[in-house]
Amino acid sequence: MSAMRVDAKVVMLGKESVGKTSLVERYVHHRFLVGPYQNTIGAAFVAKPIQVGDKVITLGIWDTAGSERYEAMSRIYYRGARAAIVCYDLTDSSSFQRARFWVKELQNFEEHCKIYLCGTKNDLVEGDRSLRQIDYHDAQDFAEEIGAQHFETSSKTGSNVDELFQKVAEDYNNTALQYMTAEETGVDLGQKKDSYFYSCCHSN
Amino acid sequence: MDGEAQRATASWENGTLAPVDRLRFERADSPTPGLVEGTEPGAGQKSAMFVHAQSFEDLTAEAEGEAQREALLEKSETDGAEELEVLNIASESKSKEEDVSSEAWRSHRKHVFVLSEAGKPIYTRYGTEEALSSTMGVMMALVSFVEAEKNIIRSIHADGCKVVFLTKSPLVLVGVSRTCQSDKEMLRELQYIYYQIVSLLTLTQLNHIFQHKQNYDLRRLLAGSEYLTDNLLHRLDRDPGLLLSAVTCLPLASSARDVVSASLQAAKAKSLVFSILLAGDRLVTLVRKKDQFLHHIDLHLVFNLVGSSSSFREGEGWTPICLPKFNTAGFFHAHISYLEPASSLCLILVSTDREDFFNMSNCKQRFLERLSKRSAYQALKEALKCPSYSVAQVGIPELRHFLYKSKSSGLYTSPEFPVVYQSDEEQERLMGLYQELHSHLHHPTRPLRSFYRCSKTENLLAWVTSGFELYLCFSPLGTKALAVAAANKLMKWIRKEEDRLFILSPLTY
Repeated sequence: MSAMRVDAKVVMLGKESVGKTSLVERYVHHRFLVGPYQNTIGAAFVAKPIQVGDKVITLGIWDTAGSERYEAMSRIYYRGARAAIVCYDLTDSSSFQRARFWVKELQNFEEHCKIYLCGTKNDLVEGDRSLRQIDYHDAQDFAEEIGAQHFETSSKTGSNVDELFQKVAEDYNNTALQYMTAEETGVDLGQKKDSYFYSCCHSN
Repeated sequence: MDGEAQRATASWENGTLAPVDRLRFERADSPTPGLVEGTEPGAGQKSAMFVHAQSFEDLTAEAEGEAQREALLEKSETDGAEELEVLNIASESKSKEEDVSSEAWRSHRKHVFVLSEAGKPIYTRYGTEEALSSTMGVMMALVSFVEAEKNIIRSIHADGCKVVFLTKSPLVLVGVSRTCQSDKEMLRELQYIYYQIVSLLTLTQLNHIFQHKQNYDLRRLLAGSEYLTDNLLHRLDRDPGLLLSAVTCLPLASSARDVVSASLQAAKAKSLVFSILLAGDRLVTLVRKKDQFLHHIDLHLVFNLVGSSSSFREGEGWTPICLPKFNTAGFFHAHISYLEPASSLCLILVSTDREDFFNMSNCKQRFLERLSKRSAYQALKEALKCPSYSVAQVGIPELRHFLYKSKSSGLYTSPEFPVVYQSDEEQERLMGLYQELHSHLHHPTRPLRSFYRCSKTENLLAWVTSGFELYLCFSPLGTKALAVAAANKLMKWIRKEEDRLFILSPLTY
């Protein structure tokens, strides 16, 4: 494929407006856009090469929409993912519930996917401690329980963002040797799913 | 659905007083003879890109025959007094809440409400849905009250205010307008909003949800999409394309456009159905699968999706989208990306396969590689610098502005707004005037073929034939004879410029 060679598929998951797009934006474009909140439509894909030791690994990052509308479709975004960055907003306890949902989803369907639990908007909490709704240790305990890495980031200041993705890439590099079936990264083009059209039925 | 639409259209055409012979006579007698459908300026050489639609009749005449509609209109008018009282009660009860009771809220020119058949609020253009739940309850009560009598409520007219209802199970849409728009125009706009919602969820899913849970709060699923609907309503006020059921093109030399189209055609894939290249709100080219047509409404929904969101600038977008005029049951998957980071050129690849992202991404690369090797890409980039043209180029001094639609291609052209219509209010006023002309030409029972109107601020001429629709705006000092002469001169100009202003040779894969 002439477009790009992607080594590891990384998927961003989490409740809407927790800041998944901002996190990607900060990491890929080194910027933080101030302005009215705009939700992601469907999902956005961006490929980013990253240096790990003496190797360059290309992360294919899928920034998914948090809206419930796309929930039925989320599997196509996380299928075959090597890493999932499950985001929650440090100032919104409901977003942590949602993060638990995604973790469960991943554990059920994507057992080889490493989970990175990421608390966002750390700058808000640092500015005013009373805004924090998710205790660091609670999140840390949860992360240990599910065998995940835990980060608290701020896309506004950039704090911990590069570290997060660096860790993702390093972990991939270390485990890539174990799974030599690396071609799971993208989409199996030969395989036709379902019928010509499919409808996604809401299952609640 | 389309079959029904055609039947309905035929029925009102038969209903006109003008016998078919007279129409033919008029056409032959028209100052620019030979302008029958398919030969008018802007008509495609091979085949049209779009579903053939009789402008907007297929939008409104979809469900019911006009006779029934008229009968119902009468019914709702006679009942109007009684129903309005009910509305007043509602406004009193909601006046306790801050936001929606204010005079400012009431005096908005046009309100649009969407609710479920259980009366649950889904969308309001102004204010919050929570604050309006009782009002929407009353709206639903009105609908059910009339339905109980085996009838359908269409509209309520009172005191400079018009309330138009559109029931599209499982949704009910209500428009409240203080403008002079006709019911039919309002209905058309509500229909667009309905399709906007369907495009996000599919009708199958909508039905499924409400069959299982009548009381479902659809806002959960639509969360974050409100701005799409807001933007669409804004476009409906301003974009002539939505009025004309047509799309406008980026002016571009046909040689360059053909190269762009051919490059797009070459970048095909099995699951690819439509490749659309946009420059802002203008179509550069559209390549489609053989025998598959895109409907204007669907294309406008795509325009709205792309134009409303900056999120596609960040990477490559991949999103499910239902094209309701194509198929309300399922999703297509659209690969949406800009050709270059700061460019206004946006490529939309519509695929049937949700797994095909990387394939589509590859198509885009192939297209870009092919295109960037040719000089046409430079020509295209040059053309982006002047995406419109001034009316002065036509060389008719008293002509201020116009809309011209080629019916067979579904494309229209229009110059930029002149100095006299620079402010948003003035532009919307002019659009309102065009809308009015449009509703005279497309009146359900008494459609006009031409219409001339003088006013203090401008003179207007509208003219429709089987091949085109033309709306002209002149300075108020002109005469009718001048206007007619200008129309003919303009037609010649458009003919001369047609290969730049229109897509004359659309391609298929």
